[in-house]
Amino acid sequence: MRDRESIPPALRATGILAGILLSAAVLAGCASSPPKAAPRTQDTIVLLPDASGKTGSIVVSGGGQEVRLSETNQAVIVREGSSPGKPFVMEGTDLSSFAAPALKALPPPPKQFILYFEHNTAVLTQKSRALLATVMKIIKERQPVDISVVGHTDTVGDRRYNDRLSHRRAKAVADLLVAQGVDRSILDITSHGKENPLIPTGDQVHEPRNRRVEVTVR
Amino acid sequence: MRFSLLQIFLMSALLLQSGTARAGEDSIGFVRNLSGTASVSRGGETIPAAEGMKLLVGDTLVTGPDGSLGAIFRDDSTISMGPDSSFAIRSFEFSPKERKFGLLVRVTRGSLAYLSGLIGKLSPESARFETPTATIGIRGTRFAVQVGEAALQ
Repeated sequence: MRDRESIPPALRATGILAGILLSAAVLAGCASSPPKAAPRTQDTIVLLPDASGKTGSIVVSGGGQEVRLSETNQAVIVREGSSPGKPFVMEGTDLSSFAAPALKALPPPPKQFILYFEHNTAVLTQKSRALLATVMKIIKERQPVDISVVGHTDTVGDRRYNDRLSHRRAKAVADLLVAQGVDRSILDITSHGKENPLIPTGDQVHEPRNRRVEVTVR
Repeated sequence: MRFSLLQIFLMSALLLQSGTARAGEDSIGFVRNLSGTASVSRGGETIPAAEGMKLLVGDTLVTGPDGSLGAIFRDDSTISMGPDSSFAIRSFEFSPKERKFGLLVRVTRGSLAYLSGLIGKLSPESARFETPTATIGIRGTRFAVQVGEAALQ
């Protein structure tokens, strides 16, 4: 019922979450400063874990040097015109207050669901029909939302036939969502025929996992 | 008679205009979690930001002293900014079918957070952030190495 069903491993993005804070005037104070000298600035970049606790990897470059961050909460300060400083792990209130309003405004990542169909039809499998309730729950929780509905087929049959079938599938799901109260204007309905299989196969191959509609709630 | 002709002309002109606007200006994402004051600069115009507002390549997003906002992009990545901040979306391309990817964001003021999406997954090296002092690139976490091979003469 959970993510296993809804998010294909191939599309499960390793989240890289990074915060950037730009600050000015930190390093002013040059005794013989010429008039109207702009204060030197520095930028701080912190690599953060994503919602699942995983940390990705980023490279910060400046002044012809680069520094790689790959540890949770690892940070680097880059001063104007200089190469990046030594990376350090940010902790405590420095971390909890770092770019806090920006992080608070970060929208939750879109959620994807995959609904499967009976062979050669625009009829949902029983299991996928049951998943529809979860889709509706997420849609309601996240209001306002945009939703994309993308139809697909397996590779049995010719291209034109599958283009039509994938469109009928997408439309069937869209109609079910509209019947449950979703405003049609927030639905972006497209179809890929047999061109974009979840499970790559040769031509004319029955593959239930490719008979699907992907619903993304943003 | 003249009146109705004029009307038809005006109508078709309007239709044409909205048609080309839609074809040329593909939305790459939209605004979410807006609070306080924020605006979008687009082609020399400044438009107040609104929840759900569609974003285009070239847009510069700016928040006021009480503002913050988030944005969700077509590749499912999210970017947000705190108060007194500004960033510009210099380029964005997400065409998995043609294997074309790109994201270039220039941060000029304040604070920004980014959670990578499919561009970060499928083509991490195509995503880049620039600040006044630094450039930030994304790296995949996978690599391969082979050790202990017999050395060539």
